[in-house]
Amino acid sequence: MANTNYRCPCCRKISSNHHDLARHFLGQTDKKHKDWLKTQRLSYAQLITWQVTEFGNKGYDTLAEVLEKEAPKVE
Amino acid sequence: MSEYSVIGKPTTNVDGAAKVTGEAVYTFDMTLPNMLYGRLLRSPHPHARIISIDTSEAEKLPGVKAVITGKDTPGGKYGLWRRFRELTDQEVLATTKVRFIGDPVAAVAAISEEISEKALDLINVEYEPLPAVFEPMEAIKDDAPVIHEDFPNNINNTRHIEWGNVDDAFKKADYVREDRFNLLSQHPAPMEVHSSVASYDKGSGRLTVWSSTQSPYFLQLGLADALKMREGNIRVIKPHVGGGFGNKNSTMPDSVNAAVLSMKTGRPVKIVFNREEEFTTTEHRTAMHLAIKIGLKKDGTIMAKEAKIITDGGAYTGLGATTLYLAGTYLTFPYKTPNYRYDGVRTYTNKMWASSVRSFGATPAVYASETQMDRAAHDLGIDPIEIRRKNAMTSGYEAPGQYKLESCGLLQCIDKVEERVKEKWTDLSKDEGVGITAFAYMCGGIFNWIDTPYAFSGAMVKINVDGTVDLFTQAADIGQGTNTVSVMICAEELGIGIEDIRLHPADTATTLTDLGAWASRETMMNGNAVKAAAGEAKKILIEVARIKLGENIVYDLEVKDKRIYLALRPERGFSYYDIVKDAIKRNDGEPIIGIGHYTPHGKGMVSPAFAFGSMGVRVKVDRETGQVEVKDIITAHDCGQIINPLGARGQVEGSIQLGLGWGLCEDLPTDNGMILNPSFVDYKLFRTRDMPQIELYDVPTYDPEGPYGAKESAEGTVAPTSPAVANAIYNAVGVEFDGNVLKPEKVLKALKEKEAQ
Repeated sequence: MANTNYRCPCCRKISSNHHDLARHFLGQTDKKHKDWLKTQRLSYAQLITWQVTEFGNKGYDTLAEVLEKEAPKVE
Repeated sequence: MSEYSVIGKPTTNVDGAAKVTGEAVYTFDMTLPNMLYGRLLRSPHPHARIISIDTSEAEKLPGVKAVITGKDTPGGKYGLWRRFRELTDQEVLATTKVRFIGDPVAAVAAISEEISEKALDLINVEYEPLPAVFEPMEAIKDDAPVIHEDFPNNINNTRHIEWGNVDDAFKKADYVREDRFNLLSQHPAPMEVHSSVASYDKGSGRLTVWSSTQSPYFLQLGLADALKMREGNIRVIKPHVGGGFGNKNSTMPDSVNAAVLSMKTGRPVKIVFNREEEFTTTEHRTAMHLAIKIGLKKDGTIMAKEAKIITDGGAYTGLGATTLYLAGTYLTFPYKTPNYRYDGVRTYTNKMWASSVRSFGATPAVYASETQMDRAAHDLGIDPIEIRRKNAMTSGYEAPGQYKLESCGLLQCIDKVEERVKEKWTDLSKDEGVGITAFAYMCGGIFNWIDTPYAFSGAMVKINVDGTVDLFTQAADIGQGTNTVSVMICAEELGIGIEDIRLHPADTATTLTDLGAWASRETMMNGNAVKAAAGEAKKILIEVARIKLGENIVYDLEVKDKRIYLALRPERGFSYYDIVKDAIKRNDGEPIIGIGHYTPHGKGMVSPAFAFGSMGVRVKVDRETGQVEVKDIITAHDCGQIINPLGARGQVEGSIQLGLGWGLCEDLPTDNGMILNPSFVDYKLFRTRDMPQIELYDVPTYDPEGPYGAKESAEGTVAPTSPAVANAIYNAVGVEFDGNVLKPEKVLKALKEKEAQ
């Protein structure tokens, strides 16, 4: 059975799961990725603030949930 | 008895006599015929749009030969992170806006420094001040002023490191604690300020730059990017350097502006920063907010760690993005950590940018992790030495996807420190305390953010007919003794004396690329390149000796003490000098040349090897004044095979001095982005007379990656010093701190708060 991979909605990056894609996404500092977050009513600042000030993975987990639904799947 | 003739012997620096007699020439001292003197006009605003710049009055001043603004420059951006071009964010002169107090906006070249300085007063710049942001937590907010338009939320760089199952491990841990730290900056304050001399030859279109730099190659690339020139048309020469400590890795406005002014005037131009500029506009240690969580078993075994860092990056990138990664890496050292998660973010702020300073990344990280380790040990009722021993890294330990250790003498270091602490500090007086730490440090970085296709280090050896050797290396001696180490390794490999070798250092036109002096890389990387180059030359000598000994001789030959002989029958051999002459004759008169390179391969993401150590510090706290007196220090250090014990000791002492400064007295307070103490009157260095007695023990190990088994000894000891002091203060008077710079007023306040509880 083929694995489902996820393609970044803003660039060509393909990740093996939506959590890894969330990590890639928050690692991008450019406007294109940040603007896409706005279309999902997410704040980059808020996600990063959660991720770097609170223990745990709240920033990634929140984004990963959205990406699981919205990111194109690649077999 | 040592098997080596040269290495391992205490050796005075090969350039030591020139330095102590004043004969050594630093860029600061240089004068070229027809030379002009440049000065920079800097922004008084932390964040402002440039509306206009009028240089007409300055140009009229007698003696002024050129005035330039951003529009006169070739327009290239430059920086160290060339692999990610968006992070090469510096301009020669600001063109549209300024981003910190001190951002250069214009430059003048005149026949004297005084005239250049006067001309600066005649330049009229109209600014439109913009809202500024100085705190990283404020900088990432959606409504914060944007410092670089391509970086919304002012996020310069992010990092994530993770292995194991952190959440699960925390659930299984018997004990979990969280600590938060606010760790402040430090200026390395080198004796020689940033200085450059540039000379452009209009006929050939070639540029020569002499500069007080830690990396001639980085500077060559920075100049090429800034000036939009081919790097081969730029020659960088590093004269003697009066200290760098990390803040001379980046290309800075002295060199690029001297170059543009020289291109404009056709005359050599020298720019030397004054001490105030050095403090306010050159790179300093990265300040950060750091949160760290640890989970342990009841017996003190580490189950998991998690860390969060947000750094105050300042206006540009420098090496700050690397600092962010290394801080996250060092939070696990020197302990086995089966589960780890790290998130870091570097923010732009409207301040002078923070970058690398000796032991970069490690110093704040180790402060947090080593003070937390003591707190956990205290809560669990475990001896602080024992908890460190229980978790100590050992040879073969691997952090998944990050690094794997070959040699590791940490346990021996801990044993030695424990032995001496228990022997020496048996009878502590009132308000005295002892603090213990352990540490590790890298031997150069594996990362290639500079984006070079070259080997990380190269060297060339030429053996002349009289047996003398010319050694060409681009390694940057910035006072740490690399020149001496290079010569010692070359001498050992060729079986000759250091007096037989003439070193040709740090000139990009005549030497093979080396990435420079940062992250304690020169002994490992340049040492390997030199050893390889000398080894290639040695092969030629051995081949000639083998032929002379007879065709059926297949035994090993050795080269030592200026003889080449059968290893098992030392009496059968030849003089080194005779073999050199024969080799040149047999080679159609060509000199004997060996070339060597080194680039780490298959060593993970961080460094090819790590040095380890442990430290004990004894302090006495004055409850009346809050003054902390560091009485004495015991430290044991595994730096592999020591090449030069004299140099290694000097490096350890210097590292401790810097660590004590960061821990106790050095800081850079700001007001609206302005550094408030930019002079040696107001910036309190930890001075020679403040230094405690230091007992240093070497724990010999052999790392297969290092030249002769050597590792670093240049900066690892910075990091454990200040947390050892903090731990000792706690053990003396029972107060703990969430940051460094433990000035008397801070200690006194903590003591009063404790008394009030």
